[in-house]
Amino acid sequence: MSKRCCDHCHLEYDESILLKDLSFGQSPKYFCCKGCQGVYHLLKSEGLDSFYAKMGDTTLEPPTDAREDSGTFDLDGFISKYVKKCDGLSEIYLVIEGIHCSACVWLNEKVLSKKEGIVEVVINHTNSKAKVVWDMQTIKLSQIIETIRSIGYNAYPYDPSIQEDRANAVRKEYYAKLLVGVFATMNIMWIAIAQYEGYFSGMRQDIKNILNFAEFVLATPVLFYTGSVYFKGAYFALKNRFVSMDVLVASGASLAYAFSVYAMLSKNAEVYFDSVAMIVTFVFAGKYLEVLGRKKAVDVMDSFSSTMPLEATLVKGYEKVLVPVESLHVDDILEVKAGEQVVVDGEIISAEGFFDTSKLSGESKPIYKSVGDKILSGYISLDSVLRYKALSDFSSSTFSKIVSLLSTSMDKKPFIEKMANTISGYFSLVVLGLALLTFIGWFIGFGSFEKALIVAISVIVIACPCALGLATPVATVVGIGSAVKQGILFKEASFLETMAKCDTLILDKTGTITQGKPTVLFSQYFDGFEPSLLYALVANSTHPISKGVALYMRENFNNEIKNISLESVKSIDSRGVEARYKGARLLGGNLKLMQSSGVVFEEEVVSEDMTLFFFAINAKLVAVFGLQDSLRDGAKETIEALKKMGLDIVMLTGDILHVAQDIAQKVGIKRFEYSLLPSDKAEYIDKLRDDGKKIVMVGDGINDVLALSKSEVAIAMGSGTDVAVNVSDVVIGGDSFFALYEAFFISKKVYRIIRENIAFSVVYNTIMIPLAMFGFIMPLFAALSMSLSSLVVVVNSMRIGSIRKIKKG
Amino acid sequence: MDVWVVAMMLGVSILLGALGLVGLLWGLKNGQFDDREKFLNGTSFDSEEALNDAISMEKKKDKILEEKRKTGYRPPD
Repeated sequence: MSKRCCDHCHLEYDESILLKDLSFGQSPKYFCCKGCQGVYHLLKSEGLDSFYAKMGDTTLEPPTDAREDSGTFDLDGFISKYVKKCDGLSEIYLVIEGIHCSACVWLNEKVLSKKEGIVEVVINHTNSKAKVVWDMQTIKLSQIIETIRSIGYNAYPYDPSIQEDRANAVRKEYYAKLLVGVFATMNIMWIAIAQYEGYFSGMRQDIKNILNFAEFVLATPVLFYTGSVYFKGAYFALKNRFVSMDVLVASGASLAYAFSVYAMLSKNAEVYFDSVAMIVTFVFAGKYLEVLGRKKAVDVMDSFSSTMPLEATLVKGYEKVLVPVESLHVDDILEVKAGEQVVVDGEIISAEGFFDTSKLSGESKPIYKSVGDKILSGYISLDSVLRYKALSDFSSSTFSKIVSLLSTSMDKKPFIEKMANTISGYFSLVVLGLALLTFIGWFIGFGSFEKALIVAISVIVIACPCALGLATPVATVVGIGSAVKQGILFKEASFLETMAKCDTLILDKTGTITQGKPTVLFSQYFDGFEPSLLYALVANSTHPISKGVALYMRENFNNEIKNISLESVKSIDSRGVEARYKGARLLGGNLKLMQSSGVVFEEEVVSEDMTLFFFAINAKLVAVFGLQDSLRDGAKETIEALKKMGLDIVMLTGDILHVAQDIAQKVGIKRFEYSLLPSDKAEYIDKLRDDGKKIVMVGDGINDVLALSKSEVAIAMGSGTDVAVNVSDVVIGGDSFFALYEAFFISKKVYRIIRENIAFSVVYNTIMIPLAMFGFIMPLFAALSMSLSSLVVVVNSMRIGSIRKIKKG
Repeated sequence: MDVWVVAMMLGVSILLGALGLVGLLWGLKNGQFDDREKFLNGTSFDSEEALNDAISMEKKKDKILEEKRKTGYRPPD
């Protein structure tokens, strides 16, 4: 049978199952489904079919029909939450699902801009976020979203936090400042080369004046535009009565600048504009990198609360009404459908089913709850419609509590004091004091104001924060760079230093040490097993176990799987799936399902640490699969290596004792705590911190977020939830566990280099400052030694880049 | 070498560089680099049609605002 691409989504299928459409002249078009056909017809009739030429070889997802009712988008509560009004027009931010290529962006923008009433559409390709401005009286929000859906995409709103906008604005501003700084510094450098050269070979004073003036013109914006952050920082520091690095940079750079202006005008000394520009720009580059990764606390809150439903189904007698969650009371009877989230804590009063509790406990294994059991807000019903009685109102429900706990703990994140900052504080004070002493000494001793000023300034210029100021930023920049090569992202440079000082490592189990996805570990087949049938059956279910089996089937029977459509597929509450195929009855699920359907077992199959999945055809067992959550690659070796580094390792999990024990044993962790709720994990961390421990926490799920925000350094595995990634300080990309070891290794190394750099600059200063104070330093020598000292720091820091990699295996 | 030659060369080259910098900063402020992908792919979809669309959209906005002013519409807040 020949393969052919669907003319809309470009996915490849067997020609036999494609829909043939002859309505476009002689050459027939083929579609994989009605959805694709519908979109194709629509685009053709709107004259937008140039989309297909634009999209090239990209494939799309076929549009799905089943969507929740778009009517909810017109509810007042919804509009007041997401829509912003400005001069009579409404503005909303949407996330558009299904954008694959720039042609998709083009198509969406085009279709929306054609609609009456929509006046502005900007879609960001990189993050699929769209800003739409429209007139509420001409077109409704639901119509806009329907339009997007009609062409095969889906859209849902998101709350653009002001915080995010502000963070972006700051980032832009810093980028502009950095550009100015780099531009001016680069230009000053080549002018400076001419000046140094002229110092040796001689240069006419008039030409020198011009070079000085050019440097002055270039250095001025660097100091006052790029360097404005230091002045602000210094102002705040002095106002709050402490001396910071900013004070030193600001005073050093502006004094050197003032001296250079004086030298330029008086024509009897060397100018230091190049040092001014260098110091400001280099230290600024470090600051810019920090701003780039700055955390967005409000963003986290947004992604958290956006998973919270706005409305709940309230059951009143025989009636069901949708009410806003805020208006729920204790003892209300509520209904939750499959796939929906429980909104308030409650007790089940009818039906039974499996719940996905991963938001709270992080466990992938769904738990079974029946009448009389307590369920918590944040649970998601997987397979059945249940009614439950509210035991709390919305604001006191577990999930809301976690959200509010999180928002408070986010502001109180512990920070270890930075070594460079503390030292530089004292250092700046000492240098400024010495400069003042020098000035007074020379003024009294020799009575010359000018000479005293030049010497005093040369003390500051010599001691200028170059080496000390660069000690930390250069080392961390190199450290961050080499971390990125290993797939580790440090959101702020300072976390490298903080991490090196931590002594306790806390690991979450599910999704961190293990993969969080159950995989098939053993399988057993009996007569009559048909892979295609099983695959078709499990592909119909979204249950993690079914997904695990489906994945296993694809990996092992890919060639044998044929496309089969089953009849009357139904998922049996909390037990499995059932379907019919040509009269045969297919059953897939747990032991309970098999027993209740009278499936004959030829031998007993029991397993303690694995979840079993049975597959039966016509009440005859044909296959058994054992599934287990597997360890991440290299978990054991990495933990071994981390232990050798001297870290205390603790595992925290929401899972039950024997699973926790099993995993802890496998990876060699001695201390572990089990059956913990998110708040318990956070409390555990608080307790450790009270004992004086400094903690690195590694987690991945929403359930870890609270604990992550409590620890000194929070690390998220990259495959984790957005919330965890947002709240954490370090993100480890990919699935490799080795990266965790590398992150520690790099941070320790950076910390050592920083100490070396600081030690060097302290030694340098203790030798050079006395010399400068007694007026022995010639202008050229001052400039050269300063450059040399920075060079030593930079070269020393470069050594971080050459880390050896951990031996794998 | 004449002082003025040096001055002019320095001045002109710094000025030219500064012009480029100002252009870059202007683009940055305008949000032209906010979306990297779109920026890179922008050339393939840039056409007269796109320009017309942008203009018609602006006209649509003006018209709606104009009507609102005429009918004495006040935003509810």
